Amino acid sequence: MNYIGRRLVRAILLLIGVSALCFLLTEMAPGSFFDEMRLNPQISPQTIAALRSRYGLDQPLIVRYGRWMKSALHADLGYSIAYSTPVTPLLWSRAKNTLLLTTTALLLTWMIAVPLGVWTAARRGGLLDKTVSLASAFFVSVPELVIAVALLAIVVRWRILPVGGMVSADFEVFSAGAKLQDVILHLALPVSILVLCETAVIVRHVRASVLEVLGARYIEVARGFGTSPTRLLFRHVLPVAANPAVSLLGFSLAGLLSGSLMVEMVCGWPGLGPLLLEATLSRDLYLVIGGIMFSALFTVGGNFVADVMLLALDPRIRRDGDGDRADAS
Amino acid sequence: MRAKTAILVAVLVGLHLVLLSAGFFAPYDPTTQDRELPYAPPTRLHFEDDSGFHLRPFVYAWTSVLDGNYSGSYEEDRSHEYPVHFVVQGPRYKLFGVFETNVHWFGAIEPGRVLLFGTDGYGRDEFSRVLFGGQISVAAGLTATFIALLTGSVLGIIAGYYGRWVDETLMGVTELFLSLPWLYFLLGVRAFLPLHLSTLRTFFLLTGVIGLIGWARPARLVRGLVLSSRNRNYVLAARGFGGSDVYLLRRHILPETFGVLLTQAALLVPKYIAAEVTLSFFGLGVSEPVPSWGNMLSTLQQYSVLISYGWLWAPACAVIVTSVLYSYLADVLHSQLKSHST
Amino acid sequence: MKLIRLTLHVCLLTGACFAAAPVPDAAKPGEEMARMADVSGHYGGHLTIGQRSEPKTLNPVTVTDAVSREVIGRLMGDLIEINRSTQQTEPALAKSWKISPDGRAFTLQLRKGIRFSDGHLFDADDVVFSFSVYMDEAVDSPQRDLLIIDGKPMVVTKLDQYTVQFVLPRPYAAAERLFDGLAMLPKHLLEKQYRDGHFAQAWSLNVQPAEIAGLGPFRLKQYVPGQRIVVERNPYYWKVDRENQRLPYLDELVFLFVGSEDAQVMRFEAGETDIVSRLSAENYNLLSREKSHAGSQLADMGPSLEYNFLLFNLNDLSGKKLDQVARKQAWFRDLRFRQAISAAVDRDSIVRLVYGARGAALWGNVGPGNKLWINQNIPHPPRSVETARQILKSAGYSWNSAGQLLDAAGRPVEFSVITSSSNSQRMKMATLLQDDLSHLGMQIHVVPLEFRAMIDRVFQSFDYDAAVMGLGGGDADPNPEMNVWASAGTSHLWHLGEVQPASDWERELDQLMQQQMVTLDYAKRKQLYDRAQELIAQNLPFIFLGTPNILAGADSRVGNFHPAVLDPYTLWNADELYVRGPAQESAGVR
Repeated sequence: MNYIGRRLVRAILLLIGVSALCFLLTEMAPGSFFDEMRLNPQISPQTIAALRSRYGLDQPLIVRYGRWMKSALHADLGYSIAYSTPVTPLLWSRAKNTLLLTTTALLLTWMIAVPLGVWTAARRGGLLDKTVSLASAFFVSVPELVIAVALLAIVVRWRILPVGGMVSADFEVFSAGAKLQDVILHLALPVSILVLCETAVIVRHVRASVLEVLGARYIEVARGFGTSPTRLLFRHVLPVAANPAVSLLGFSLAGLLSGSLMVEMVCGWPGLGPLLLEATLSRDLYLVIGGIMFSALFTVGGNFVADVMLLALDPRIRRDGDGDRADAS
Repeated sequence: MRAKTAILVAVLVGLHLVLLSAGFFAPYDPTTQDRELPYAPPTRLHFEDDSGFHLRPFVYAWTSVLDGNYSGSYEEDRSHEYPVHFVVQGPRYKLFGVFETNVHWFGAIEPGRVLLFGTDGYGRDEFSRVLFGGQISVAAGLTATFIALLTGSVLGIIAGYYGRWVDETLMGVTELFLSLPWLYFLLGVRAFLPLHLSTLRTFFLLTGVIGLIGWARPARLVRGLVLSSRNRNYVLAARGFGGSDVYLLRRHILPETFGVLLTQAALLVPKYIAAEVTLSFFGLGVSEPVPSWGNMLSTLQQYSVLISYGWLWAPACAVIVTSVLYSYLADVLHSQLKSHST
Repeated sequence: MKLIRLTLHVCLLTGACFAAAPVPDAAKPGEEMARMADVSGHYGGHLTIGQRSEPKTLNPVTVTDAVSREVIGRLMGDLIEINRSTQQTEPALAKSWKISPDGRAFTLQLRKGIRFSDGHLFDADDVVFSFSVYMDEAVDSPQRDLLIIDGKPMVVTKLDQYTVQFVLPRPYAAAERLFDGLAMLPKHLLEKQYRDGHFAQAWSLNVQPAEIAGLGPFRLKQYVPGQRIVVERNPYYWKVDRENQRLPYLDELVFLFVGSEDAQVMRFEAGETDIVSRLSAENYNLLSREKSHAGSQLADMGPSLEYNFLLFNLNDLSGKKLDQVARKQAWFRDLRFRQAISAAVDRDSIVRLVYGARGAALWGNVGPGNKLWINQNIPHPPRSVETARQILKSAGYSWNSAGQLLDAAGRPVEFSVITSSSNSQRMKMATLLQDDLSHLGMQIHVVPLEFRAMIDRVFQSFDYDAAVMGLGGGDADPNPEMNVWASAGTSHLWHLGEVQPASDWERELDQLMQQQMVTLDYAKRKQLYDRAQELIAQNLPFIFLGTPNILAGADSRVGNFHPAVLDPYTLWNADELYVRGPAQESAGVR
């Protein structure tokens, strides 16, 4: 209990730290939302100044931070200057789209990577192992950006899939089945990019940790006792190999909201990423901060869940009390 | 196993040497614009002409063909042949930034141009730019890795060795660093830097930023290692014999970390090259006219360039090749480490 | 086989006619319609247009971004419109107007019997209400400044139910152009929110279609966050075509948020959108090469009204700790220095490499796209590095053995040029300039900055040497540019905050601009503005570089596609667009 309690406290402190850092960094970036209007010779600086003060942009940092904290405790993350609507519903409507994308990618990645990793570890040196190793080395090395742009070029050139958006223009008139198909078609490209990049990483880790366990003494002993390979796998190998995998899962969960920015931008997926990017560039202050806090919430939450899962899985942590998540690298 | 490692290391070293002496291997200056030849495709090397087969390849010059709509396509001008010579005289440059010379590995007599990877939007030779760009990108990766590992190790050792509160605070800070979506902040950071930074300073700033964001993972790794070795019997024994903290660290604990750090390094270099590529892609890296693989790839953001001028993908291939080589190195080091420790 | 296909087509068309939105009613008696005598087409269908980023609001009073205005403009109606094709004003909601002899009072006659898109009648009360909202200081509308001339607001009075009088504090040339873009608001829907002080929150994107009404050709049907806005035909629209059929022809218009210009092109290529406006030259050439788009209507409308330039920091820096910049100003302030730079700039390459030969070089602020106001007598000297070198030599500059340019005190000439990193064309211009000026021995550093960071330096901190920027493109008339050329103007970029004109030519420019603002006769105004252009081209406060052509494209099935050089380039005549049937499609490109 102490372990969980400590983690929880740390998580909360972390969130507060992120919010403070956010405010500080956005304060340091020069310019404000209304600067775009300065270029228009027909708008007077008085109007711009009046607009700034109406949205409280000329208040000192501490005051703004304090006010924001107070309302944040009521789940009110402020007001978006650009959209003239409260931040929270705006973020949530877009976060849903991002979560659809990343959760699908997460499920597919793990469903492919874990069996693949275990299999190639068990059949080490075989043809499958060599192919998978080569492919994963390739996809791990290439920057995600390059993969995204390459796949995009292929898809557009040969009109394989619809590009951009989550649904087609006349989505509303589709039947339920056609609607599902439409979303799947639009999901295909961004999910493929994410899956390709992440599977490579996870396969290597799963393979490595399974291999490590397979080489241990107690496995040899169990084998000597005549345990069947299946029982060996599920009873002895997997639970131990799970530790680093759970950490990885924690990282994956943590990245649910923030990891897909690049892909969303390149593929035109209407998620949180492009919204936040535009908000950052246009200095829509509370939208940016709200969005980062949303992401941070997921990150911290994901790590926390991973910690709890580790606690349940690994008795050594329960005993020692100071174990930590093994590192993914 | 040994042979494979040796070949791998040799190839990597060779690659770095080529990049280091980019001035020699590149036929042209990377910043010279040729405004008559924007987006020219790679020149084809010919071995056969009307008079038969030649051992020495030759090229034709590109002439632009304008149809009524200015589509800007190119045709080979077959009136003149320009043989490709090796070890030629070309534009002046400074080898390793020190020796002034004008000897290049290959080239052709002007106005013939050997454009192995074509040209970019300003008519600059892409092949030369890839070589010079590699200097920036690979150096950025290596420097950032060094910074990250150094900072991470120091902090990880402190955290692991002194334990409890120091540990908790440091780990909390690393989690903070890992939680923030840095891309958003970095997009605003360029703004409040001094207006003109020389290329060198921008380069160091960039690598510093990448390295300082990336110290978190190595720190945790080193910390874990220090924690586990801190309680080993021989360390306890040494302490019992009166060894000071520094002595223990230097003699017993640190050596444990070297192998892991080396593997980490081999893993991080391609990651940080990718980080430089990504940051430069978004305009946060070295600026024109200095090439880096990242800012060369940013021209691919334009759809028309993406699908019309395939030779501009060359920097991507360069990134991929370098990254794959480093990944293999990491794999090899990792398995060697494992076989030594068991 | 052909007969079967024909029958099928006929059946489909008939079926479509029945299935589609009902055709609007003919004009009722007492409803005064505006007849567009040269417009014809037929009803039905929908068109999709891609937008580079998302609209932020539907409130015409508080809107600041162009994307939102593109949508709002289709939903709202103005008293007087500027026909983007002819660039002249036309009666709109005001069927006629009289101007008093002193040019200060405008009396507008409104059309009778016109209704908002929700059926409510429109009259002078709505006009008075709208203007009181625009001019209310508490609302802080960006459009308020348009209605303040010489610091005094316009006075709006209702004379009777269909007559409104506008009195300007002093005569203002082409004042009726002010009315384009000032949407008339429905008093019955917005008055309460306005009185309660919540006007800024009115008509956000989440507004229910029943709560928003306008006098434009379309009305809001649906908003899907992050994806699209769908607008449908306004059954009460007050324009009819040649055959007295009520416009618009389209059943629906869909705005798709595609995210970027490249995405716009991709979707257009894939057939998901029907219209694409503001293409870059490379994309235009790409589309014209694509075989599958052989029937597409790709239009090159010629040079736009925007002007791109190199700007030097000539601000008064006393009191600011900007010594390095201040030292360099000794170079920038010398007219000969700027003349040399202007002579060395390779404008041809800019047009070729940046605009893909679809653009025009500029030597003044008015380009060939503005046929009404351009001064044809301004010299266009070709590039000459030799001339530039001679000018520099006569100004006391010299070159050292390494070819570097040194000023009279022996300091090497080196400065940085900032530009917006999000505008790839201006970045390219800056890079070309860098190379051009290196032939003079100058060392230029190109510094791409994030847009707002650049604005901050140019308008606030003055911490910059030079910048590549662009202005203009709004309207052909010189009046909107007053703040750029007037020495006290807020967009007088090279020297902001001048209390008095800093030099003789600026004083003369001030006088010219003031005079042309109050001169009502076009010929006299042209003379004044010609002289102003001459002064600007001679004294080079900006070193003008070039302007792109306006390039737009539409699918072959879009009828009445007439893109214009003024914003909104393709949708300004959205009420006249129609979807061609299959027979008309094969007739090919207009």
